[in-house]
Amino acid sequence: MSTAAEVFEQKAAEKSADLVHRGIVRWNIDQYDIGVGKGKTRFADWEAARQRCHDIKWEGVNHLDKYLLKFEQKVKENGGHVFWAENGEEARRYICEVAKRGGVKKVVKSKSMVSEEIHLAQALEKIGVEVVETDLGEFIVQLRNEPPYHIVTPAMHLNRKQVSDLFKEKLGSEETLDPPELVAIARRWLRKSFFSAEMGISGANFIIADAGMVTITTNEGNGRLSTSVPRIHVALTGIEKVIPRLQDLATLWPTLATAGTGQPITCYNTLMGGARRPGEVDGPEEFHVVLVDNGRSELLADLEQREVLYCIRCGACINACPVFRNIGGHAYGVTYPGPIGAVLEPRLLGLPEYQHLSFASSLCGACTDVCPVHIELHHHLLQNRRNAIRAGTHPARERLGMKVWRWIMSSARRFRFFGWLGRTAMRVIHGLGLEGTALDPMRPWTKARAAPVMPRESFRAMWRQQNGVR
Amino acid sequence: MASAENPSRERILGRIRAAVASKGSHHDGPVGQIFTPVTDPLERFQKECVANITECTVTANTAASAAAIAGVLASLPAGEIFVQDAPQLRALVSGIKDGRPLRWSSEGPPNEASQATITLCEALVAQTGSVLVSAANGGRQATVIAPAHIVFAKLDQLVPDLEAAFARVYERGIASKNSYVCLITGSSRTADIEKILIMGAHGPRRLIVVLQTG
Repeated sequence: MSTAAEVFEQKAAEKSADLVHRGIVRWNIDQYDIGVGKGKTRFADWEAARQRCHDIKWEGVNHLDKYLLKFEQKVKENGGHVFWAENGEEARRYICEVAKRGGVKKVVKSKSMVSEEIHLAQALEKIGVEVVETDLGEFIVQLRNEPPYHIVTPAMHLNRKQVSDLFKEKLGSEETLDPPELVAIARRWLRKSFFSAEMGISGANFIIADAGMVTITTNEGNGRLSTSVPRIHVALTGIEKVIPRLQDLATLWPTLATAGTGQPITCYNTLMGGARRPGEVDGPEEFHVVLVDNGRSELLADLEQREVLYCIRCGACINACPVFRNIGGHAYGVTYPGPIGAVLEPRLLGLPEYQHLSFASSLCGACTDVCPVHIELHHHLLQNRRNAIRAGTHPARERLGMKVWRWIMSSARRFRFFGWLGRTAMRVIHGLGLEGTALDPMRPWTKARAAPVMPRESFRAMWRQQNGVR
Repeated sequence: MASAENPSRERILGRIRAAVASKGSHHDGPVGQIFTPVTDPLERFQKECVANITECTVTANTAASAAAIAGVLASLPAGEIFVQDAPQLRALVSGIKDGRPLRWSSEGPPNEASQATITLCEALVAQTGSVLVSAANGGRQATVIAPAHIVFAKLDQLVPDLEAAFARVYERGIASKNSYVCLITGSSRTADIEKILIMGAHGPRRLIVVLQTG
C-alpha cells in the first residue's frame, strides 16, 4: 500500500499537469480576487478589522474553558443539550443515538467541515439513515461521491457541463448549460428533502458565549431550512469556535464574508439558541450542540501553534496559495486543503503520516498576508517541519543527504571540488541529451522543466575575473 | 447532560484548563476605526438595498404602505399568502383587496407552497442594507420559505450599523426572548457553479422592504 505522502506526490503531479483543471481553478480564484479587492474597499481600515478579529479570537481561545461553560449553561437553561466529544467516534456515536432515538430516516445537512473531518455521513448511512447535503456545492460533490474540493466552494473544480451531466445521470434531469436552470433543478430536488427529513445537521461558524447561541452563515438559505423544518437540530462544531459576545459579530460577520467570497456580508447570518419555545410558531423540538475536540485541546496546549485555533475557515489562505492553485483541493487527500490544512492536518491526524503536507509549500507567506485573524501560517509550516525532523520520522535517505551536505558545506575545498563535479556532471548529461531521463540525477526537477546549461566556471571564479579581487 | 453520560466533558475541560493557564502570544496591530460611520441611514439603506438586490419602497403613511404591498402581491402568481399575526399587519392587510387566501402565523407555520410571506422585523441595518428578524416575526420558516418575502418596517426601526443593531438586540432582549434570530441581506443566492451569481437558491428570490416614514 502506498503511503499518504506517495499518493499526495502522485496526485499533485497529475493535477499540476492537467491544464483544464488548472484553467477552472484559475478562473474561480480570479473571480474571487476581484470580489475580495472590491470588498475590502468597503472597510475604512481592513487592517483594523483583522486586528479586531484577532483580538476576539485571542480572547475566546485563551479563555476557552470560561466561554464554553458559559455557552453550555445558557444552552441548557433554554432546554438544549450540549455534548462534548473527545474525538470523531464519540461525536458520531452520540449523533447516531440521537437519530435512532428520534426515529430518524432522513437527515438534511448544511455545510459543516467538522462533519467531513469526523466522517459523519458515512456513520449515519451505516445505521440506515439517508443523508442529503443541501449546500449546492456539497450536493454536487456528494452526488459524485467526492469530498469537498474547497472549504468554501466545494464544487470549485467543476464546470456547468460537468454539473449538467451529473444531474442528468443521478437525478434524471434534462441536459442544460444554463446555470439558473441547474440551480432550479437542485432546488426542486432538495426542497422535497427539507420537508421529509426528521433531522437537520448544521455546523457553526461561531459559538456565542454570552447569548448561548450558535451562528451559521449561508447564502442559499439551505442552512436556514435545515435548522427550521426538521424535528431535530444538531449543531456540530469544534470547541475552538467560541467567541465571548454577540456584538463581536458586528466585525466577524463582515470580515468573514469579505475574506471568504468578497461579499460585504453573507446573505443569511442565522443565530440559534435552542428548540422551538412556547409561543413560537415553528422550529425543531430538540436542539443538540456537539462540541468536538479531536486534537484541538492538544493544539491549545502548544503555545507556539495555539493561534491556529483562531481560524474562522474563510478559505482566504487556500485561495492565495500557489500550491493550491496548481494541485487543487483533492490532491491533499485531507479534509482541510491549502495552507491551513497543511498546518492543521498533520496535527489532527498525527504528524508522522501527514508531515509531507507541511513540506509541500514554497513558504512564500501569501497565506499569512491574507489571513483575516493574523495566523502566521508559514511560520507554523516551518515549525511542523522542525518538529518532524526532531521526531526523526523523515526518511533515512534524507537524513544521510543532509549529513553529506553539511560535510561538503563546512569546508571551502570540498565546496569547490563538489561544485566543479556537479557542474561538470550536469554539462556531460546535458551534452549527451540525457536531461530529464532516468540517468539524470536531477530528474525530479528536470523531468517537467528545462534547466539552464551549467557554466564551465564557478561564480567565485567569474567574480574574480571580473573584479580582480579574491 | 449528566456527567456520567458524557465522561469526556471533564477530560476535555481538564486539558483546556491546564493549557490556558498560560496565555498565547498576541499580535499587536492598528486598532483604528473599522467602518466609516453611517451619516444618513435612510440614504445608505436604500443604496445598500440596490447593491444587494433588495426591493426597497419608502412610503409616507399606512395607506401608501398598503398600496405598495398590494402592488407586490399583484405581481405574484395565484396562491396563498402567509402573514405574521400582528395588529400592525392585520390593519395593513385589511386594506388590501387581493382576494387570495391568507394564512396567519397564529394558525401555524406557512404552507410550503406559499407564494409570499409578509412579516415585521426587529430592525433594519443601514450599513449593510439588512433586515433583522427573529422567531417572533411569524416563526423561522416565515422569512425563508416563499419565493417572495415582504417586510414592513417603520423608520424608527432603522439603525445605522451592525454595532447599533446588536446594541438593540441586547437592549430589547431579542436574543434571549427568541430561539432564532437572522440577519437577512438581500435575497437567496448561490455562486457555487463557476462563480456565477444566481438568485433564488433555497430562500426567497425576492426580498421586498416597505419602509414607512410616517
